[in-house]
Amino acid sequence: MIIPEENESQDFVKVDFSTSVKTIIEYSENGYGFRTIRVKSKEPFDKISFEARIRLVKKAADPFKSINLIEDPAISYSEIQTLLFRIEHDSFLRTTDLTFLPSKYATLFTFDKEKSIFENLQALNQFIFNYVSFKPNMTDVNSTVAEFIEKKQGVCQDMVHLFCALARHNGIPTRYVSGFLHQGNGYFGDSQMHAWSEAFIPNAGWIAFDPTNNILANNDHIKVAHGKDYSDCAPLKGVINGPGTNKTQYTVQVESQQQ
Amino acid sequence: MGKIQNQIFSSYQRNPILYDEIFDKQGTIKEVYSRLFELYGGHTIKEYVKLNEKAKSSFFNQGITFQVYNEKETMEKIFPFDLFPRIIDQEEWDIIERGAVQRSRALNLFLWDIYHDKKIIKQGIVPLELISSSENYLDQMVGLDPPGGIYNHISGTDIIKHNDGKYYVLEDNIRCPSGVSYVICNRTALKRALFGVFNHYKTHAVTNYAENLLDLLETVKPQGVDLPNVVVLTPGMYNSAFYEHSYLAKTMGVELVEGRDLFVENDFVYMRTIRGPEKVDIIYRRVDDGFIDPLEFRADSALGVPGLFAAYKKGNVTLANAPGTGVADDKAIYTYMPEIIKYYLDEEPILNNVHTYHCSRPDELQYVLEHIPELVIKPVDEAGGYGISIGNRLSKSEIEEVKSQLKSSPRKYVAQPIMSLSVHPTYIDETESFEQRHVDLRTFTVLGQDRDFVLKGGLTRVALKRGNLIVNSSQGGGSKDTWVLKK
Repeated sequence: MIIPEENESQDFVKVDFSTSVKTIIEYSENGYGFRTIRVKSKEPFDKISFEARIRLVKKAADPFKSINLIEDPAISYSEIQTLLFRIEHDSFLRTTDLTFLPSKYATLFTFDKEKSIFENLQALNQFIFNYVSFKPNMTDVNSTVAEFIEKKQGVCQDMVHLFCALARHNGIPTRYVSGFLHQGNGYFGDSQMHAWSEAFIPNAGWIAFDPTNNILANNDHIKVAHGKDYSDCAPLKGVINGPGTNKTQYTVQVESQQQ
Repeated sequence: MGKIQNQIFSSYQRNPILYDEIFDKQGTIKEVYSRLFELYGGHTIKEYVKLNEKAKSSFFNQGITFQVYNEKETMEKIFPFDLFPRIIDQEEWDIIERGAVQRSRALNLFLWDIYHDKKIIKQGIVPLELISSSENYLDQMVGLDPPGGIYNHISGTDIIKHNDGKYYVLEDNIRCPSGVSYVICNRTALKRALFGVFNHYKTHAVTNYAENLLDLLETVKPQGVDLPNVVVLTPGMYNSAFYEHSYLAKTMGVELVEGRDLFVENDFVYMRTIRGPEKVDIIYRRVDDGFIDPLEFRADSALGVPGLFAAYKKGNVTLANAPGTGVADDKAIYTYMPEIIKYYLDEEPILNNVHTYHCSRPDELQYVLEHIPELVIKPVDEAGGYGISIGNRLSKSEIEEVKSQLKSSPRKYVAQPIMSLSVHPTYIDETESFEQRHVDLRTFTVLGQDRDFVLKGGLTRVALKRGNLIVNSSQGGGSKDTWVLKK
């Protein structure tokens, strides 16, 4: 399991982790530098359960960031084309199996070069929100962008993959973010596990867009990890050795406390 | 076609266009082979065949087999072996050895750079697209320092001799190159069949590979470890190279393990033994990157160890070769090897690269368009031999077709001169005689922290089908013992 990251808008306080099997709980780090909890059963089992209680403090995003969002489009667009910029952000400009955009859809959404990158990304966020509808069980974790465009129905994961595909196609470094959404404010979220995206805007940094809800990510979004696509940052992963079949269930609860 | 006066070579046909390893252009035996030629010439073909059969059965008896899957049932086969050895004199070997080390060192520095500062890309020497389009580039390796600074501990360099008599590198294999066990077993088989011939030549031994490999792996042990525990990690007995994995473990005197024999606890790796868990420090892994850790890479891998990458990242275990090393043995990187060697070592390449014309560069495109019959035209992004045009086999209309493709999308193609592999006399069952067959050479280089080792010998692979240039064992290739002479 990946523990939610610490960043400028969230302070990690503590995690209590328990499991039904007798084992040691290992705190480690995955290949992308996110902190993880790892457990392995030393004995065979029919059933295994885990519970993680995580406390963190959400802070308002940096108020100065919005000032930096006023960009000169000509300067921004020329910067993202430079070799140094493309080397720096290479990982998040690359296309992956899950974010592959077939060439026939390359013009599904085009950037208006008269407007700033931020305005274009906002427009892309809105475009996806309007173009497709939220409907569970139409897609699965291996669904591609092309399948989603054809069905026009899916969940937050599909919307984020589409966002990443279209933004990267326009030269904007974009990452997939996995996390949890604080429900209760009328937002859509995939049975409480959620995904959104972060795009890099020159001079402003990483800005988080939630295309499922057509908003910028805010205090209700608890970030766990980011990657090129879902497969880099699934919050839970497991390996089972043994014959037969298995079933997995999980629930997420997010509660807020005023401080 | 010249005839050679020697009993077992009486029907040997020499094609003067090809570079023969043992006869010069006039058909005279080369000096280094002359003693061997006399010794073998004392036998009749029938005696030779009998000895060859004896040698082959020694492979079966030693269990040195590989599996062939594509036929009706899985079959154990031996890699066809030919008793007539290949000899490389010390002068030529010196070039090969220095060249192989130079390439391995340069590739190691290249790997460090592309996983750290990326200077070679920033300076425009290697295009960014080569790295970003490679499936073998692992983001998880960015900024990570492998123990001792070594990525490609073991390299297998595929070298040919062209008809100009010069050596050229065709490929640098730095994922999990295999074949070294055949080098040693070929020597054993030849010694069993004809031990007397070794009395006439001062040949370097090849049996010291395992001790040198172990020695050099121990130079890149994790920090704080005194006496490192080394293991060989194999995908298991169904892997076509399983014999080699077990051979290497046995000769190094270390354990051979599968993924399920290892586990990770608090970011250290342990091996299950009957005496309880035993810490493991260095893993010579013969499992591909994607399969080493199901939590980090392919989740469906049953061959790996959950948590292994986290232990590696912490610096608690050494993996040889390092994950992500495969990015540097992509075909596209190969074409930049001369630049890579110059950039990192400030040296001229010792071994030739097959010259590559990048059709994206207008002056090179012009050359390619004018010389198509002498060139092989290859698409940049296709693997497995698709879309390759061999210039001298094209009709006039096909040449025109290739030209128009090159003009319309020059970026998609590179071109290389047609290489002609040297030939070596090889006994052929069907005709019961010696015939010329194309050969290549795979050398094995091991890099340690501040030392290196090149096995003085190598795997000479033979294309057994007449005219065939493909020497892979899966394509019906065989092999020969390869002698490197002492000074």
